[in-house]
Amino acid sequence: MKHKLLIIGVAIIATPFIMSFCGFYVSKADGTLKNKTSQVILVRDGNKNVITMYNDFKGDTKDFAMVVPVPVVLKKEDIKVVDQSIFQKLNDYSAPRLVEYWDQNPCYGYREDDKMAPMANKSLSEVAVSGYGNVRKKDAVKIEAQYIVGEYDILILSAKESSGLKDWLNENGYKIPADAEEVLDPYIKSNLKFFVVKVNEKEKKKLNSNFLRPIQIKFNSPKFMLPIRLGMANADGDQDLIVYAFSRKGRIECTNYRNTNIVTDKNIPLFVQKNFGSFYGNLFTHQWNNENKAVAFLEYAWNVTPINQMKCDPCVGNPPTEQDLVQSGVWWLNGKDWTDYSDVDEDEMDNGSRNVHFTRLHFRYNRKSFAQDLMFQVTPNTENFQARYIITHPATGDLSCDAGKKYLQDLKARRKKELLQLTALTGTNINNWQDDATAKNDEETVTEAQYATLLPEVKNESDNEKTLPGSMILLSAVILGSAGFMRWKGFV
Amino acid sequence: MFLQKLFKDARYFQILFQTIFLSYGILFLHWQAAWWLYSTYFITSITTQLVFEYFLGKKTFAYNKRIAFSFPSVIISSFGLSLLLKTNHVEIAALAAFISIASKFIIKIKGKHIFNPSALGIVTAIFLTDTAWFSPGQWGSGTVILFGVCCLGFIVVTRVQKLDISLTFLGTFAGLLFIRQIIYLGWPIDFFVQSISTGSLLLFSFFMITDPKTIPDNKWARIVWCIAIAAVAFYLTTFKFINGAPIVVLILAQPLVPLLDWLFKARRFQWTTSPKYNTTKNDFLHIVHTRSIM
Repeated sequence: MKHKLLIIGVAIIATPFIMSFCGFYVSKADGTLKNKTSQVILVRDGNKNVITMYNDFKGDTKDFAMVVPVPVVLKKEDIKVVDQSIFQKLNDYSAPRLVEYWDQNPCYGYREDDKMAPMANKSLSEVAVSGYGNVRKKDAVKIEAQYIVGEYDILILSAKESSGLKDWLNENGYKIPADAEEVLDPYIKSNLKFFVVKVNEKEKKKLNSNFLRPIQIKFNSPKFMLPIRLGMANADGDQDLIVYAFSRKGRIECTNYRNTNIVTDKNIPLFVQKNFGSFYGNLFTHQWNNENKAVAFLEYAWNVTPINQMKCDPCVGNPPTEQDLVQSGVWWLNGKDWTDYSDVDEDEMDNGSRNVHFTRLHFRYNRKSFAQDLMFQVTPNTENFQARYIITHPATGDLSCDAGKKYLQDLKARRKKELLQLTALTGTNINNWQDDATAKNDEETVTEAQYATLLPEVKNESDNEKTLPGSMILLSAVILGSAGFMRWKGFV
Repeated sequence: MFLQKLFKDARYFQILFQTIFLSYGILFLHWQAAWWLYSTYFITSITTQLVFEYFLGKKTFAYNKRIAFSFPSVIISSFGLSLLLKTNHVEIAALAAFISIASKFIIKIKGKHIFNPSALGIVTAIFLTDTAWFSPGQWGSGTVILFGVCCLGFIVVTRVQKLDISLTFLGTFAGLLFIRQIIYLGWPIDFFVQSISTGSLLLFSFFMITDPKTIPDNKWARIVWCIAIAAVAFYLTTFKFINGAPIVVLILAQPLVPLLDWLFKARRFQWTTSPKYNTTKNDFLHIVHTRSIM
């Protein structure tokens, strides 16, 4: 099926694209290339791992280089390039979503056009990059293997000590971030190999395309982790990382950082639909700060087994097809049609299950909050989760009947709540939303229920209402309550 | 009265701290408070205790007295499960809680039960059913360190429980991690701090391995046993990437305790720190002695 993959590889997607892997890139172009958001697909079952790393390198491909620590020396058949559209598909499908509902006009009775439709989500991810140079051999560093895969020259290096590796990379034209050494040393001593990638210009020309395709590697290792520490060496500030993980059993969890679900199922004002991307950006930043940063945010978790019909509620993009999943590295779906991973299964018992669970984790890391690489575990947690925000269109038409008047009162109350919710979710002041709220976007609604009208009222209310430290009170109550209970029961 | 108990009986101190941990998680860390899960653990544990005590308990004292004395232990077991064991299935949660409590009555040698109840519940649920998983207890480094210091401080001040086992375990485990991560691999110090500041390690070293009924009676046997657990747990954590390794190792090591007790015939643990509770006028406390603290 190699030819099939290649054909797909040539079909280029026109959408704006995303990220590179969290390995660090080295650059000849003197540090102008920065990682910002990375995307990576992890597939794990037993001790088998498939990792797909996306590059969104914009610039001269001669400057592209990527270094990724890997636990074993990879064989040539363990490395391949895949079509980059797979990342767009997974992102579209699993991204936080906005859903809309329509109110019925209570004066007309019920109609059948009650609908719920997904909104196209804005891309929540940005850009990232990598860079490269030429390669020669030197003593301190051993070239374990050397391959050409797709448009890439690939070297697998092992080193005895970090300064040797650093010198080697420098001598071969790589620019190494000054503080990379503190990370290289522990990696070398942990017996990790270095997967070094650059673009092979000859092969690249044959492809007749400007895109660098994602690289997919597979290996056996009990270690289920992503090396992010190298990526921090040349990133300034916070970096976003989106992990799309697939397992047979259930959700993927981070084991050395706190897992938390991003806040979901909230009703927000109608006008947010114009700017959902920035709304979610604000929301994420606010939650991230609130949760003390060193957190793995769950944005999506679902059973996406090909026969499973209900894959989201609602779906933002099309659910990944069996073919997409196999492309992503889900080897256990390989039927007769998808034989290019059949070799993976030989050495380990396979329970034959075709279940696929999809987890999307979102990290925003920096050196201060993330001292360790990301470690994961596959859990048997099969609970579904999605980041979902709800807007509701008001009823239209004449609302002068009694039920209509009542509806308007309810609408006003609901919209006030939505405005308060908006500020609570994003941690922004209500005034920041003045422009959006007053923009002519809900003319249909009677004036008194428009967001613009309600805004000043909400402002007054939220000023008066200083939120009590309710959780503190509840905590004290729990402790006192249990003490009291035990005393009442005569245990103490 | 409550304070008096709190300072005298380690179990009350443990309940207090576990209540704080769980409430903190639910209120501040926004754990998806699975009330059904917590209530399953508590209800099953309590029911199991009531039934087993009725049929298998030593009939030395009135039933209601025995229940009252064993009640804190059951609560501690349930908290242990609530904090560390996750599952989607009510029946698995009930099974774990049942095994925890039932093992105290069924698996015992010379009146001393072999396994730490909640550790056994956790390990069997994870490895036998494959539908439960271990929560590594990531509560945030700062928080865990704060809680750890509070626990330690409380124990030191009140002498409510012996510290030898906690400190031996923590010292060995953290010491080996330090040697591996900082001295050998050369990671910066915050890498190491993150490794040791997990809620599960805190719970394990202060509330689980300390269970006086499931550790060797002889002091030196106890220390060596504890060092061995820490060393094996370190190995499994570092080189085999097993989550919750200390708990697994504890369960594997606990059958050795009767053997060690037989080799080093020491006086059986007495559940007291204060002479007041040593006297025979409080003979109901002997019941407590035969029950686990976890």
